[in-house]
Amino acid sequence: MSDFNITVNGRQVPVIKGQTVLQASLAAGIDIPVFCWHPQLVPVGACRICLVEIEKLPKLQVACATIASEGMIVHTDSPKTIKVRQGVLEFILAHHPLDCPTCDKGGECDLQNLTFKYGLDYSRQHEPKHRVIVDANSTFDDLQIGPEIIRNQNRCIHCYRCTRIVDEIAFEDDLGAYQRSYHTEILPPPGREIRNLYSGNIVEYCPVGALTNDDWRYKVRVWLTKQTSVICPHCPDGCNMKLWNFHNKLFRATSRANENIDNGFICDIGRYGYQYVASPDRIKRPMVRRSGELVETSWEEALSLIRKQTDDIKSKLSGSGFFGFIGDIRTNEEIYAFQRLLRRVIGSNNIDHRFHRRRRLTPGEEVSSRGIESDNAEFKDIENADVIVVLGSDLHSENPITSLRVKRAVKRHNAKVILLNPLPTPLGKRAATLEVIYKQGTAAVLLHGLIDAVVDLERFDPSAIKLSAAEISDFRKANAAYAGVRGSEITGVDVTLVARVAEILAAAQNVFILAGSYVERDPLRDSLHLAVANLQSFCKSARKIFLPPDSNSVGAAFFGAEPTVLPGRQSWGKKAIYEDLWHGPIPDAPGKDTIGILEAIDEDEIECGLVFNADPVRLFPDGEYVRSVMEKLKLLVVIDSFMTDTARLADVILPLSTFAEIEGTRVNWEKRMQYSQRAIPPLHESKPGCEIIELLADRLGVKFNQSKPSDVYQEMARFFPTGAPTTYAAIGRDGFLIRSAETNKPGKLAYLRFVAPAIDTEYRFILLVGNADHHRGTLTERNEILMKFTGEPFVGISEADATDLAVSDGDLVKVESKYGRVVGKAMILRDFPSKRVLLPENFGEMSTNILMGRQDKIDMIKLAKM
Amino acid sequence: MILSDSAKLQISQTAKRYPKVRSAILPALHIAYEEHGYLSDQIYEEIAQILDLKLIEVAEAASFYTMFPKAKRGKYLIQVCRNISCALLGSHHLTAYLLDKLNVELGEITADGLFTVVEAECLGSCTTAPMMQVNAHYYENLTVEKVDRLIEEFRSQK
Amino acid sequence: METKLLTQHVGDPQQHTMERAIEHGAYQAWQKVLKEIAPADLIQIVKDSGLRGRGGAGFPTGLKWSFVPKDSLKSKYLCCNADESEPGTCKDRVLLEGDPHAVVEGMMIASYAIGCHTAFFYIRGEYDIGQVRMSKAIADAYAKGFLGKNILGSGYDLDIVVHRGGGAYICGEETALLSSLEGDKGLARLKPPFPAVEGLYRCPTIINNVETLANLPHIVVKGAQWFASLGTEKSKGTRIFSVSGHVKNPGNYELELGYSLRDLVYGLAGGILDDRPLKAIIPGGSSTPVLLPDKIDTKLDFESVAAAGSMLGSGAVIVMHEETCIVWVAEILAHFYMHESCGKCTPCRQGTGWIYEILRRIEAGYGKMEDIDTLLDIADNIEGNTICPLGDAAVVPVISTIKLFRDEYVYHIEHGKCKVHSQFKLRTK
Ligand SMILES: Cc1cc2nc3c(=O)[nH]c(=O)nc-3n(C[C@H](O)[C@H](O)[C@H](O)COP(=O)(O)O)c2cc1C
Ligand code: SF4
Ligand code: FES
Repeated sequence: MSDFNITVNGRQVPVIKGQTVLQASLAAGIDIPVFCWHPQLVPVGACRICLVEIEKLPKLQVACATIASEGMIVHTDSPKTIKVRQGVLEFILAHHPLDCPTCDKGGECDLQNLTFKYGLDYSRQHEPKHRVIVDANSTFDDLQIGPEIIRNQNRCIHCYRCTRIVDEIAFEDDLGAYQRSYHTEILPPPGREIRNLYSGNIVEYCPVGALTNDDWRYKVRVWLTKQTSVICPHCPDGCNMKLWNFHNKLFRATSRANENIDNGFICDIGRYGYQYVASPDRIKRPMVRRSGELVETSWEEALSLIRKQTDDIKSKLSGSGFFGFIGDIRTNEEIYAFQRLLRRVIGSNNIDHRFHRRRRLTPGEEVSSRGIESDNAEFKDIENADVIVVLGSDLHSENPITSLRVKRAVKRHNAKVILLNPLPTPLGKRAATLEVIYKQGTAAVLLHGLIDAVVDLERFDPSAIKLSAAEISDFRKANAAYAGVRGSEITGVDVTLVARVAEILAAAQNVFILAGSYVERDPLRDSLHLAVANLQSFCKSARKIFLPPDSNSVGAAFFGAEPTVLPGRQSWGKKAIYEDLWHGPIPDAPGKDTIGILEAIDEDEIECGLVFNADPVRLFPDGEYVRSVMEKLKLLVVIDSFMTDTARLADVILPLSTFAEIEGTRVNWEKRMQYSQRAIPPLHESKPGCEIIELLADRLGVKFNQSKPSDVYQEMARFFPTGAPTTYAAIGRDGFLIRSAETNKPGKLAYLRFVAPAIDTEYRFILLVGNADHHRGTLTERNEILMKFTGEPFVGISEADATDLAVSDGDLVKVESKYGRVVGKAMILRDFPSKRVLLPENFGEMSTNILMGRQDKIDMIKLAKM
Repeated sequence: MILSDSAKLQISQTAKRYPKVRSAILPALHIAYEEHGYLSDQIYEEIAQILDLKLIEVAEAASFYTMFPKAKRGKYLIQVCRNISCALLGSHHLTAYLLDKLNVELGEITADGLFTVVEAECLGSCTTAPMMQVNAHYYENLTVEKVDRLIEEFRSQK
Repeated sequence: METKLLTQHVGDPQQHTMERAIEHGAYQAWQKVLKEIAPADLIQIVKDSGLRGRGGAGFPTGLKWSFVPKDSLKSKYLCCNADESEPGTCKDRVLLEGDPHAVVEGMMIASYAIGCHTAFFYIRGEYDIGQVRMSKAIADAYAKGFLGKNILGSGYDLDIVVHRGGGAYICGEETALLSSLEGDKGLARLKPPFPAVEGLYRCPTIINNVETLANLPHIVVKGAQWFASLGTEKSKGTRIFSVSGHVKNPGNYELELGYSLRDLVYGLAGGILDDRPLKAIIPGGSSTPVLLPDKIDTKLDFESVAAAGSMLGSGAVIVMHEETCIVWVAEILAHFYMHESCGKCTPCRQGTGWIYEILRRIEAGYGKMEDIDTLLDIADNIEGNTICPLGDAAVVPVISTIKLFRDEYVYHIEHGKCKVHSQFKLRTK
């Protein structure tokens, strides 16, 4: 695919037009040393270590920034280049401390390595070394520049990778280079810290030990550690990470640079998120309830107890008296094995993974699962879009790496970014072209108003889309109530703003729609999904992604954790295939979903639950109701790593291994299935999910002989399309994209029926649930480092409301709904719309679900100062 | 707010002359410096706010240039050119003479708060060396006599 | 004899006012350009005149202008470089204070030639009077209708913005000047892209020196042929030389290019202070190599000075008599380059400091014999390997003084002190 060749050290090296000498050489396996260059950053040519000789040019040129042109003859090992390289290393080392024995970068330091490889073996430097003294009483020159990052300026070689990552990649502004000449110093702006969500990357990419972080410092030497390749379990972006362990203890996570996904940058949640594995709060041994108390016991006893009790229930109610919940962060193998346990061994189709906090289910609803109904699209497609619409998502904290792709599209080709959200989000200030804030619950109206505004434009070209004139005009007629000023009254969005968004959409060649958590929590969710499809139909070329809530929600939907579909999204008619495969019957009728299950427990139709790494008591709306229902169960078996709110109600608890202790596959939002290695053996007496499920199956009467994930995977692999990898070894870096034929095609236009939810005048604030800085979901609070960033819940309110209620930052306020109340410290949010309250969902001490009603369309609360 | 209303107005007016506001950082720093005689983090913040720029952009730029010191100086900031043309005509002696006369160390403020002496690189007065800059003004072709007289004048003006 | 072209009226204390400047013919060229000359023809005239840049490198001005892409839809910018900070140099200041209208008019003409509608006047922050006079001159030009919208009914618009630097020599380097003008630190940038293609705000930009621009009104009024008749074959016109150091009459002298160095130093500048023997001359500012007295008959034009082993540079002639310690001179200049390095690239950031520290050590009496070779080798590792020419400039004093005065370095190291031991005193009166 190359355009021409250049000659490097006498070898012909193919070049794709626009490549630099360095890129072409590296691709051909010719090594040129670099410090300041990084594949994802704009070259600055600052360090000069990559100077090479190019014939016919009078001076040496930096390989990193010189565009290769046809016929170039390059020497990377001529006497001149070698001399300069030694010279540059000598310059850098002149004032670099020789503290390698105590420096944490030792063993993986570019400076150390290149000095061994190219450097002089003597020193001509007689002058005292410059030193930036931080504390005159200390021999170390460490300066804490953020909750987690320590700087040693003396070791800095001024490559500016750190500041460029912060600026170019993260679009943040909390790190800079100050002063000039050799005084140049890396620091956050005065009075601030570096604490952006991507801050850990600067440590990873600092070529020397100038930037280090607390988890790794002074703890272990890199050459003693073992590395394993895992997939981050914290969000559905599915970043590739390396876990580093020594004697089976984890010390850090770094990126594994997969350009399909993360480009080598991971967020701090992923980077420090492994720490929950070693949390002292882990459930260490099986537990059973004896005279009301949970007490530790042996696996044998716990399993026997389960067997005995299930026998009783089964004889009374048969399989339909059972249900299973499984969390979206488990591997495909665990999910598959778990549903098989329920369906085939217990004889129940009552299984669900959609009890999530952001989710309300109307029984029997059409739109099935978040994520699974997305179009076929990849991260790369975001980058190629010229307009990116983010709908109902705090993309920055929910999908940090997707958010980076959006920024990259802005950086690389000025893509326009439109945010349509119920609240302002961090992405707004950093990358948005337009940020539209709608009233929660009215997003579908907004989209339809937007479509109308697009059609109204002169530049709108109906021939560019696949709709007939009649379809368009019918749609407009049906939609009249949501267009223009009338729509505006419903959504609270100014018509001129809608018109500006419409302008951008009408001019767009290639639109990418990312719909997030606030879409899932929207009272009109199903209509909103259809409205997104409608919008897609009116764009020249558009794709839509419904971002799933958790790291493996898509896998859970695909591999059978839903009551009405079988693994591989097979319909009920295909039941016989599974009965064949599993050598036995499965129940005839589809099962109940979360709501149905809860109601059935309430009606005493279900008496036993298996809850696998899930916490409905903390997460499902109307927490008090869920708790009271779960308390009615005769037998509640919880398989989990932590004492969750649900686990506290359990009769039996089985200790479950975490992501680092198991291998398996996960599916991200692209529907890309990736393989994650086991990093360390199970801690305490915990066991990996597949093993536990096999033990349970065996105890309950059916042996599958599949306690290893790889065995389960082989069976699951039958549901993959042809050509898919059937063993772990066959899953490469690209993973495997699960694709179905019928996506990317918008269906028929759907019409909207919007009924404004009745609002109780007593509860006048809209409740919005989001993430605290450096938190996502419920695992991050088990993590020491992330808790340094935000350590406690808060009640986010607008400046106007704060004034109204005479509340200042940190005052205790009471948030109360018809169902429950919580108390927390007020946090006044700038530019936040009034009459809304933002609560983080990340802290056990302030569960937000107790404020929500099961049936309510929209969560309304009242707010008072304590 | 540290900056006066007129300084703020001046800063936002200046910004209008540039195709991009960020270019107004240096003019803004000059305006602030002229008003206060030194800069501070608080002033950076205010400039960033007036121009709707990031604090880091203002702080980084300010730190690079020599004309925006954060340290307080005497009422008269005396900068003696230390570069070649002045040095050939005795600027090192001039610095020593001033320090001795004012009884102060380089960079420090005299007890009466009037003077700070620092060295500067070439100030573009080479054909009229030796020279010193006192606040905004150049004093050239200096001799012992002339320096004595100048210091007297500054002292009497207070 | 001086040839007073640019400095003809700088002696007139009122020349900075609009009235007096006009009396002396200011803005005639500007009116002529607007009325009679198309931009492309103007570029050709400047090419024909043979005018070369007065900022240091001596690049042909008309040729530089012609690099601006004609069909680019982007805005085009002109920056007048009045950052004058090269040690020894103060010739631009003469014009800024003495005849600001000539500089303004030069900027107008250059802007018109390249199709620029917003021009920037970047002046070093310390130049107080220059800044005030230039601002006033520009304001007066607006009042007269020489600037602004639809100038003199020509349909051409032009604004000039005065921008004060913050104290940094590097901002005289063109890419650093652009960074600074954009509000950033004055960091040099990689070339390509060259400013003429992608400069200020990533738009085509021409940077010209003050003196270069001040020549333009004369070329326009008197013609390319006339200008080309001044000077030598390849160095046309006049230049203002700043003569400083150990001469009796230091000052700025405007000379036709090709004038003899001897006549300048011993004639116009009155000879060496106290009639001492001459030791060395730096002919073109601190970044140009030192010349020995045997080169005193060198002609002051680009080619002859180059043939003598130095450069015409910024036209700053620094004269040193026999009592000058050459290591001390090198140390002073090394301190300057260390202090002014922007710090972006390794060789310049680290190398300039290292050179200074070694020189300081030698000067303090703790030199080692191997220091001399180390200095030369450090210089070799810097030269040609930096982002901008500051690195190249920084090594010039070291290399050239070692080359010409190696024995003095050796003496310094062997004796721990200097043969001449210069301790220049401030004159009493
Ligand atoms: C370190 C450095 C400092 C410079 N300082 C100045 C300066 O103060 N004034 C100037 O006109 N040119 C200076 N130059 C040269 C400019 O980069 C540029 O070449 C010049 O302004 C072009 O104008 P000209 O073509 O009219 O000479 C400097 C160059 C370097 C490398
Ligand atoms: S701290 Fe590290 S990454 Fe940042 S400039 Fe210094 S060496 Fe480079
Ligand atoms: S890697 Fe090319 S200059 Fe640093």
